[in-house]
Amino acid sequence: MGVAAIQSSCHPDLKQLYPRLDWDKEVYVLGIESTAHTFGAAVASSQQPFILSNTRSVYRPKTGGIHPREAASHHAKTAPEVIRSALEEAGVTIKDIDAIAVALGPGLGPALRVGATIARALSVYYGKPLVPVNHAVAHIEIGRLTTCLDDPLVLYVSGGNTTVTTFAKGRYRVFGETLDIALGNLLDTFAREVGIAPPYVVEGMHQVDRCALDGREILDLPYVVKGQDVSFSGLLTAALRAIGRGARLADVCLTLREIAYSAVVEVAERGLVHTRKKQVLLVGGVAASPELRWRIEAMARYHEAVAGYPPLEYSGDNGAMIAWVGLLNYMAGLTVPVRDSAVKQRWRLDETPIPWR
Amino acid sequence: MEARRNSYTMEVEAPSYRGAEAYLYHASLLGHRVLVKKRIGKRYRHNSLDEKLRRIRTLNEARIILATLAAGIPAPTVYYVDPEEAIIVLEYIEGKVLHDLIEEKGVNDHVLTLVEKLGYYAGVLHENNIVHGDLTTSNAIVSSTEVFLIDFGLAERSRDELDKAVDVHLFLRSLESAHPEHVEALYKAFIRGYQRARGKAKAEEVVKLVEKIRLMGRYVEERRLVWGKS
Repeated sequence: MGVAAIQSSCHPDLKQLYPRLDWDKEVYVLGIESTAHTFGAAVASSQQPFILSNTRSVYRPKTGGIHPREAASHHAKTAPEVIRSALEEAGVTIKDIDAIAVALGPGLGPALRVGATIARALSVYYGKPLVPVNHAVAHIEIGRLTTCLDDPLVLYVSGGNTTVTTFAKGRYRVFGETLDIALGNLLDTFAREVGIAPPYVVEGMHQVDRCALDGREILDLPYVVKGQDVSFSGLLTAALRAIGRGARLADVCLTLREIAYSAVVEVAERGLVHTRKKQVLLVGGVAASPELRWRIEAMARYHEAVAGYPPLEYSGDNGAMIAWVGLLNYMAGLTVPVRDSAVKQRWRLDETPIPWR
Repeated sequence: MEARRNSYTMEVEAPSYRGAEAYLYHASLLGHRVLVKKRIGKRYRHNSLDEKLRRIRTLNEARIILATLAAGIPAPTVYYVDPEEAIIVLEYIEGKVLHDLIEEKGVNDHVLTLVEKLGYYAGVLHENNIVHGDLTTSNAIVSSTEVFLIDFGLAERSRDELDKAVDVHLFLRSLESAHPEHVEALYKAFIRGYQRARGKAKAEEVVKLVEKIRLMGRYVEERRLVWGKS
C-alpha cells in the first residue's frame, strides 16, 4: 500500500480542463477501483490538492497470470483496510464524503463485482449517491489532471487495453485499437511462456525490456499495423515459435518489444497527424515503461507536439483516478441508482458520456 | 533533397506536407508537376526494422498504385521509385481533400455523390483483390467532379472478403472519428456506390462482415449475444 498526494510540477487550470463544472463548491468523493489486479481506494476533493489519498493493495500471482476468482478474493480480503486507510490519509470520515464512486468497467467480472458490491453497500448504508466511473476515462482524466494537457491525443496501454483516443464532440472517440490482445498482455504472456516471469516488472522495467538489453539482432517477426489498428496475437505466436526453433531469447525479446512499441507509437503518430492535436498523453500501466516513454517523446517532438504521462503512482490502476472522475461525474449530476449499477465488463470508452468537457 | 535518376537531377522544394509516415515535396519532372513522397526514418524505431519497413512499404505502394490504375481507378500515376531511398515520385493531383470539404460544407448532394463515387472505387478495388488499408476521407482528393484515391502505403493484395470488410470497417470508423454527426448519411452513400461496383450479394456479405468486425472489438456489450447465437 502506498499513499501520496499529487506531486506534479504543473498547476491544473480546472476551468480550462473542465469548463462545464462549478469549481467554487467544496465536494469530497471516495473512489473504489477493482477492475483487475489492483484494489484501490482514494479520496478526491474539488479543492487543492485535489487528490487527498491514494491507497491500494495489488494481487500478485505467484505463478501464471491473473486468476479472476483469486483476484476477487484478494480484493474482498483487503478492501476494508484499503478503504479505511484512504479515508484516514485524507483526514476525513465517511460522513464528510459527498458520494461513493466505483469503476463499473471495463474489467474482469469477479474483480469488478467486489468493488461494486462494497460501493453499493456504502452508498445505501450511509445514504450517499453512487457514481459510476469508466476505468478507461479515469486513466485519461488523471493523466490530464497531473500533466495539465488540456486537449491531448491519448495512447492508453495496459494489460487489457491498447487504444488511441481523443475527445471530439462530447465523447472520447476511439481512433485506433488492438484487434486482438493488448500490449501489456503480449509482453506478460511472452515473458510467462518463456519462463522469465512472474514477477513481470523488476526495478521499474518489464522483464521483456530487461531481457532485450542483450539483444543484438532484429529477427523477422510480423509487424501488423492495419490502418489505425494494431494486432499482436500473430506476433506473440511467431515469437514463441522462434524460441521453439532455438532463436536467442534476447534477440526475440528485442524484436518483440521493438515491433510492439513501434506499432503502437506509429498508430499514435497517425492519430496525432490525423486529428492535428499538439499534445500526446501516455496513460495506463505500460505508460510506466521508460522504453515506451522515450519513443512517444521522440515521436511527439518530431511533430512539434508536447508529450506527457502521469507520475508513476497514477500510471497503473489506482483509486485516485476513480475518485477524481467520480468527483467530475458527481459535480455534473451523473449518479446511478443502486438497482441499475450492474458491472459492465466490456464498457466501451466511446459509449461513456463525458458531461464535464 | 535530391532524387537522382540516371542522367538528370530533379529540383525539389521544401516539404509541402508532413504526414505521419512520409514527407511530400512539390517538384517538377520533365515539365510535369509532380509530388515526391519520401518515407521518413523514425527515431522511435530500431534502425534495421525502420529501414526494412520503409523499403517494403515503398515498393508495395508503387506496385499497388500501378494495379489500381490498371483497374481504371483514379489515382496518381507513378513516375519513379527508389526503394532504398524510400522515394516514390507521383503525379500531382490538384484538388481538395474530401475530409476538409465535408468539414467546411457539411453534407449536401454534391458531397454524397462524391462519397458514393469513393464507395464505387473501393468496390472496384476489392473486385480486383486490392485492399487500400487506410480508407478515410483524408485519403481521397476531389478534383472537379472526380475522386482520386491516394496513400496506398498500407494497401495489400487479398482475395479474402474479411480483409475487404476490414477496409470498409476502417472507413466507417474514420467517419465516426472525423465526421461523427454525418456518419449515417455518408456510410449509406458509400455503400450505395460499393454495391454498384460489386453487386448486391457481395456488398451485403461485406456489410454483414463489417458488423461482425465491430463486435470483435474489445469491450463491446453486444459481443456476448453474438457468442450466444453462434
